[in-house]
Amino acid sequence: MKLLLLVLAAALIAFYVGYLHADEPAAKIDLNTDTLGPRTIEELTEKSIVRDYGLAWRTLRDALNHNQPGALEGYFTGFAKDDFSRLVQSQLKTGVHVRYSDRNHRLTAIFYSPSGDAMQLRDRATLEMQILDGTKLLSTQQVTRNYLVLMTPGADRWLVRDLQSIPEGRP
Amino acid sequence: MKYVLSISIGAVTFLLICIAWLQSGGLARERMRSSRTPDEATRLLLTQVQARNWDKALSSLANTNDVDKASFVHDLGGSNGSLLTYATLEKFDVWPLHANEQQATVRAKLHYSTAVGPLDDVRDFQVQRAGDTWKVSWPAGKLEKPAPQVIPVNYLRWEVINRGAEDDWGVQNVDSPQVRIVSMNALQRPDRVVILGEIVNEDTIPAYINVGATLLRADGNAMAQENSFDKISHILLPKQVSPYRIDFPGVQLKDIKSVRMDAKSMLVPASADPVIAVNRQRLETDPLGKKVLRGELLNQSGQIVNIPHVLASYYDGSGKVIWVSDGYVDQELQPQIPVSFAVDLPDDIAPKVQNYHVTVNHFSSSHTS
Amino acid sequence: MNMKALVITVMVATMCCPLLASDLKAPATVVAGTDFVIASAESQGGTFYLIGPSLVSKREVQNGSEISVPGDEIKSAGVYTALLCSGAGCVSTDFYVKPSSPARLSLLAHPSRVRVAEPNAISAVALVFDKFRNLVVEPAQVEFQAVAGEAQPISQSRTAANGIAWIRLTSGKKEGPIKVGAIIGPAKELRVVRQVASDACNLRIKPEWAAGKFYVSTDPVRDCSGNAVPDGTVVSFTKTDRSGKTTVDAPVKRGIARVQMPVDGNARIFVASGVVTGNELNVTGKQ
Repeated sequence: MKLLLLVLAAALIAFYVGYLHADEPAAKIDLNTDTLGPRTIEELTEKSIVRDYGLAWRTLRDALNHNQPGALEGYFTGFAKDDFSRLVQSQLKTGVHVRYSDRNHRLTAIFYSPSGDAMQLRDRATLEMQILDGTKLLSTQQVTRNYLVLMTPGADRWLVRDLQSIPEGRP
Repeated sequence: MKYVLSISIGAVTFLLICIAWLQSGGLARERMRSSRTPDEATRLLLTQVQARNWDKALSSLANTNDVDKASFVHDLGGSNGSLLTYATLEKFDVWPLHANEQQATVRAKLHYSTAVGPLDDVRDFQVQRAGDTWKVSWPAGKLEKPAPQVIPVNYLRWEVINRGAEDDWGVQNVDSPQVRIVSMNALQRPDRVVILGEIVNEDTIPAYINVGATLLRADGNAMAQENSFDKISHILLPKQVSPYRIDFPGVQLKDIKSVRMDAKSMLVPASADPVIAVNRQRLETDPLGKKVLRGELLNQSGQIVNIPHVLASYYDGSGKVIWVSDGYVDQELQPQIPVSFAVDLPDDIAPKVQNYHVTVNHFSSSHTS
Repeated sequence: MNMKALVITVMVATMCCPLLASDLKAPATVVAGTDFVIASAESQGGTFYLIGPSLVSKREVQNGSEISVPGDEIKSAGVYTALLCSGAGCVSTDFYVKPSSPARLSLLAHPSRVRVAEPNAISAVALVFDKFRNLVVEPAQVEFQAVAGEAQPISQSRTAANGIAWIRLTSGKKEGPIKVGAIIGPAKELRVVRQVASDACNLRIKPEWAAGKFYVSTDPVRDCSGNAVPDGTVVSFTKTDRSGKTTVDAPVKRGIARVQMPVDGNARIFVASGVVTGNELNVTGKQ
C-alpha cells in the first residue's frame, strides 16, 4: 500500500512537472519607443528587438530548465551569456534549479546609440519563478521584476549582452 | 578447354579496346585522316585538339615546320594557369566561308566548358590543298614573352587586423567600408528582369562588396531575391566604381512594385596592384553578326594575371547605365603583353549606347585582389 | 482563473512546503562583493539556498538565526532570493545587490574613419561598470576627452544615466588620428578615430612625354580643405582617340596618379575619382 502511494505520488509529480513544461505560451511583449534617443529606431530594428528579446527569454528558460548552457548561444552574448552560463553550472553542481515562466514583458527603449550598435531597454517582466531542489519544489512566486537590458546587433539578430535586475521604483 | 578460355579473354579484351577507341572518337579521327575537304581538315585538327593530342594536331598542319609548338599549345590549350588550362573543348561547329581549288577559309565555333561556365570562341582557319588532301595552315608566330627585366611594384597593400573573439566588447573594431549604390536601373528583357547599375567605394580602404536585390510585389511581399554573383568587381579600391548586374530569369517587370537593394561591404586585405589598362576599346560587329565591345588588356604590373574578367557598363545619352556585360578572357595576362578581349552586347541595346566603361577583375594564383 | 493556473495552485497548496516569507531578514540593499548576514527567527539549522542572477548556492547551516553570506556569492548585481528550509518548511526573502563603485568602462567610438570637417560625425558612448562587470546604474560623471595630433585636449563631462553616457564630436579640419577617451574614477579608455580627406577636389591632369612614351599624371590629389587623399585612392583615366577608347584605373601613389597610354592622333583624356570628375585634356600623338 505504501509502495502504491509512493508510485502514485511520483506519477502525480511527473504529471505536474510535465504539465508545466508542455507548450508554454509565448510571453506577450510590448515595446515603447516614445522616449528613445539619441538615434531614432528603425522599423525593422523595432520588430527585431521584440522578436529577439522574446526568443532570448525562451532560450534562457530552456537553458535553466534543462541545465543546458548551450541553449544560451543563440540570443545571449558577453556578460549576460557568461552570467547565465555560470548560473547553469552552479545549478548542475548543487542540484538546485530555477524555473522561469515569463508571462509578460513591458519594454521601454531608453537609449539607442548614435551609431546603432547598442540599445538599452527597461523591462517590467511578469514572471512565475519556481525554485526546485532536485524534484522537490521549494518555492513558487509570481513576481514582477524590473530589468535593465543591453542589446547589441549580431549578424542577423539582436543579442542580449546584459540583463540586470534592478529594484522596484527605479525611474 | 584452356585454349577456349584464353581465346575468349583475348576476344573480350579486344572488343573492349575497340569500344574504348570508338568512344574516344577514334572512328571520327580515322575517317578524317584523309581530309578530303577543307571542313574535314579543320575537323581533324580540332578533334586532335579536343583529345589534347598536340603532336598529332601539329603534324596535321600544312605548315608544321613554321609553327612554334609552345605558341600553338598556348593558343589552344592555355598556359600559366589561364582559363583555357581549366577548360575542355566540349564540341565544335565547322562551316566553310569560301573556297577555291587551292585555298579555303573555314569558320569554327569552339564550345569550351570551363571552371567559370561555358566559353565560346569563333575562329577562321586558312586551309590549303596539299595533293589529294587539305591541311590547315596555322598562323606562324612565336609566343610573345615579356623581355627579361625588373618591374618595380610598389603599390599599396592593405592588411586587416581585427580584434579577436576573446577581446572585451567595446574594444574598437574597424568599421566596414562605406559603399554606395550610385545608380540602379530595372530592365525587362525577353526572358528575364535585369537590375543593373553602379556602386562606388566611398571609403579610404578597400572593400569586398556584393549587391543584392529583392523584388517586391504590390502587396509588399518578396517575389524573388538574387545577387550580382560574378557580374560585379567584388574588390573595390578607394573611390573605385564597379558596375553590377542582377538577373531574375522568368520574372516580368509588370509584376514588380518595387525593388529593395542591398549593398554589403566587408573589410578585406587587398592590393592596388596590378594595374590593367584597357586599350583600343571599340564597338564592332563580330563575324557572327553580333554586336561586341572589343579591346586589349595590358597588364602594367610585373605579375602574371591568370584569369582576367572584363566587365563593361554601357550608358545612354543621359548617362544612365543601360546594360552591363562581362566575359572571361581565356588567356593569361603576361606583364606588358596586350591580350585582346570581346564582350557581347544585345542587338537592341547597341543602338542606344552612347558611352561605355570597362573595368577588369583579376584572379591570380598568388593572390586574387 | 484558467484551468492551468487552478492546477498549479492546487498542486502548490497540496504538495509544497508552506512558505513564511517574512521570517528571513536580509538588508534591503547590499553592495556587490561584500560579506553580509541574513537574520532569521529560526534558531534551528537547515538548508540555506541563495538564488542570484549568476549563481545558485546550497549549504547546510547549523544556526539559522544568523546566516553569513560571503561577498563571493553576490558578485552580480540584481535581485536575489534567499531560502532557509528545515523540517518545519521553508522561509524566504528577496534582497537587492547593487553594483559597487565604477571601476571599468566600455567605450564605443564610431566611426573608425571619418571625413574631415563633418559636424557631429564622431560619437562616443561610455558604459560604466563596476569591478564585477555590473552596469553601474547610479548617476556618475564621465569625462570625455578628444585630442587631435599635438593640439590641446578638449574635455567635456557627461552624467551617465542607467550606466550610459555619450557625446558627439565634430571632426577636425586636418586629416590624421584623433584620440577619443573616456575617464571615470580609475577607469580610462581610449579609442583612435582616423580623420581622412574628403572627396578629391579640383582634380587636374597634365600630359608628360618621357623616353618617347606618353604619360598622364594628376596634380597632387587633395580634398577641398587641402588634405591629400590617401594613397591607393583610385583615379580613372579615360582616353579617346583614333584607335578607340582606353581606360585605366590607377591608384594614387605618393599623392599623385600616373599612367602610360598610347596615343594615336588627336586624343581627349578625362579623369575622375569616384563620382568626382576633373579637367579634360586634348593631346596630339607624336609623329
